[in-house]
This record gives sequence, structure tokens and C-alpha cells, in this order.
Amino acid sequence: MRNGGENRGRLLLVILIVSSLFLITLDLRGVNVLNGLRSGTQSALSPFQRAGNVVLTPVKNFVNDITHLGRTRNQIEDLRKQNQKLREQLISRKNQDGEIKQLKSILDLAGTARFKIVSAKVIAQGSSLAFTRAITIDAGRSSGIKKNMTVISGNGLVGVVKEVFTNSAIVMLATDPAFKVGVRIAGSQQIGILSGLGSSTANLQLLDNQTAIKVGDILLARGSVNAQPFVPGVPVGRVTSVSNAAGAVTQSATVKYLASFGSLGVVSVVVKAPKADPRDVLVPVKPVPTPIPTVTVFVTPSPSTSPSAPSN
Amino acid sequence: MLLRRFGLTGTIFTFFFIAQEAVISQLSFPAGGFSLFLILTLIWAALSTPDVAAAVGFGAGILLDLSPSTNGPLGHWTLILVLMSYAIAFFSYGDENMRGNPLSIVLMVTLAQAIALASYLVTGFLLGVTATSFSQTLITIAGNALWTLVVTPLLLPVVVWLHDLTFDSRMRI
Repeated sequence: MRNGGENRGRLLLVILIVSSLFLITLDLRGVNVLNGLRSGTQSALSPFQRAGNVVLTPVKNFVNDITHLGRTRNQIEDLRKQNQKLREQLISRKNQDGEIKQLKSILDLAGTARFKIVSAKVIAQGSSLAFTRAITIDAGRSSGIKKNMTVISGNGLVGVVKEVFTNSAIVMLATDPAFKVGVRIAGSQQIGILSGLGSSTANLQLLDNQTAIKVGDILLARGSVNAQPFVPGVPVGRVTSVSNAAGAVTQSATVKYLASFGSLGVVSVVVKAPKADPRDVLVPVKPVPTPIPTVTVFVTPSPSTSPSAPSN
Repeated sequence: MLLRRFGLTGTIFTFFFIAQEAVISQLSFPAGGFSLFLILTLIWAALSTPDVAAAVGFGAGILLDLSPSTNGPLGHWTLILVLMSYAIAFFSYGDENMRGNPLSIVLMVTLAQAIALASYLVTGFLLGVTATSFSQTLITIAGNALWTLVVTPLLLPVVVWLHDLTFDSRMRI
């Protein structure tokens, strides 16, 4: 009996081993049914695996955080520092880009007029001393800057140097109510006096009442003796409105400054003016309007029935 | 009776197989971790008669071979587990010193698990399955053995209870 049981057990073992070897042979011979079985198992298991993943993810994260507590904290700290550094670099880069753009336009302007300039960064903006509209620049006596020198930006006149220190200077802006500059109209060469109003606009008083002035005219600095405080030919502003009051002795106009006083980052001080007056070479080129395509539609009226005449 | 035993054993093994694939496989343990399913199979075999152990080993091997994480041919784990389950049952069956002592079962399962893994790797090498480096293989087998040594005492009471439930027996371990 015992022998019979043992033999049955051995027979079962042999059958199972042979079955296993048979399966291995089938698989190695590339029977597709077996591959299908495996992919079927994977399909059946995937919902459980997804559920397991959902349940285990917080646990894994927690364990991971605990395991790498010190390292994670250091990593976060490093990344914070890196982030701060990159932000600073980005801000600095944006600032530098703006300054480069401004500097390029100043160099273009100064190069055209053959001005010898000293460029400087605006380090302070606001009222200083007795001036209500002034900026402080980071170049002074050591850079060859003297009092009453013209200060320009890429678009035109900014102001005039009023105070000079060793390494800085204070510039009175053209917007200052006390600021006055002799100007001429580009083209007609009529002269007048431009006075600051404390804003981005100024008031122009023409000396000749018979002069024709129109909106859009460009004003250029007339220039002073020895080019101080104003070098000739620097663009100043554009006429935005003209007032022809009856009985007025002189004509007046409102002028908008070409320089953008709200975004002054880099300015240049004209330390030496050219011997010859640049005349109108610095007049900004008028923007060419982009043609707007027009569409003409021809409509042919379709024959319509006329109201019928009343029948008798 | 046979159908009930077969059904219960199949359900238990399927449950542990899903637990292995859905939970244990997703956790990363140091030194390779352990296989809950393999431990269950070996404990079950240690508690069964040799022919039942061989049959259970066959079924468990088929399931392991169908696992998506297995890289060997179908029948590979089946062959290993049939032989290993039969062997473990053959050595422990009728020896109450072995079966009545949980420490003996733990050590036997750990040893059997290491041998099973080594056999799988060797036969896999013979069958042309890509193997890792020798040092990595050693680390994996040793790591698995250590983990099995830790997990088996925890799993043993549960498996004994399930085995008793299935075979209407009352073991004293």
C-alpha cells in the first residue's frame, strides 16, 4: 500500500516535471498561445497594480522623505538658493538689455551728430537740491563732465548738468518747470523758447508771430555759445497742438518731449560738440505707416419683383 | 472535498500572487527585497505531503511564470518549484521535529528559497536567459535570503492557519 502511494507520488512528480519541460519547450519554440497567456495575465493584473500604485505612492513618498530627510532638506535649500540667484541674474539681464538698447540708440544719435559723449547710468531719480525734476548719474568730474553740459538719451534732449561731483553729477531734466531751451523748428528754422511744465509736455513760445507752425513739427536745440549748456541740433520734441489766440503777441504750442523720462536707465553727456552744426540730421525719421489692405466689394443687385400695379 | 481544497488553495495563491504583483513588487527594498509568493509556496510545501507539495509547486510555478516581471520561458519557474516543493516536503514530511519547530521551518524555507533562486539563475543561464553579473547575483540571492529570514516568521502563522482551514487539519507549531 505504502509502495503504491510512493509510486503514485513519484509518477505525479514525473508527470509534473515533464509538463514543465514541455511548457519550456513550447515557449522556446515560440508558440503564440503562451505569449497570449502572459499578456492576458498582465491585462488582468494591471487594475490591481494601478490600485496598488495609488495606495502605495503616499507611503513610498513618506518613506522616501524619511529616508532622505537630511538630503532632501539640503537639496531644497540648494534649489532655493539657485532659484534666487537665477532670479537675480534674470532681473539683472533684463536691466542690462534695457540699458544696452538705450545706449545703442544714444550712440547712434551721438555718432550721427559727431558728438563726443560720456555715457552714464542713472543712479537716482527724483528731486534733489532745489530742482524739482532731476536725476543723478554715476559719472562726474573724473569722467570729464562739467557743469552746463548737454545730456541726451537715444531719443533726444534729456536735460543739462547742473551740479558736478567727483564721481557723479546731477542733471536737471527738460521737464523741470525752470528749464528753458532755445529751439528751432526742423525745416523752417524758425526759432522759439521751450519751457518745461513739470510733465512730459512743454510750452513753446515762437518769437515770430508770422511763423507757420503745425502739429507734428520737430523741434531741435538751437545751441548755445560754445555749445554750453546746449549743443546744437539735438532733437527735443514734437509739436502736439498749436494755439493761435487772437491778439496774442506770440504764437505758442504744446510740445511733447521725444525723450522718455520715465524710463531713463542710461544717458550720455555731450562733452564735446562738433565744430559744424549738424543741422537737421538728427531729426527722427517719421514712422512709415503700414498700408492697410482695402477690399472693394462690388454688389450687383439681383432682379427683384416690382410692386404690382393695382388691377382694375 | 478535493474540489473545495483545490478551490481554496487556488484562491489563496491567487490572492498572494496579486498582492505580490500589486504591492510588494512596487516597493523597493534594499538588496532586492523578497518574494511573498515564493515564501508562501515554500511554507505551504513544508506543511504538505510531497505529492500535494509538487502539485502546489506546479500551480504556483505556472502563476510565477505568467507574471509580467518574469523574464524566463514559461515552465521555468514551474520546473524549479515542482522540484523544490517536492524536496522540501520530502525532507520535512513525517519528521515532527522538523514540522513542529517553527525555527526549523523558517530556516528550511530560507535555504530552499536561496536554492530555488540559484537554480533558477543556473537553469536560466543554460536556457539562454540574460543573466546579470556574478557579484550582483550573489547580492540578490543573499539579500533575498535575509529578507526571507525576516518575513517568514511573520507570515508563518497566517499560512499555517490558511493551510489548516484548507485541509481541515490542526497543526501545532
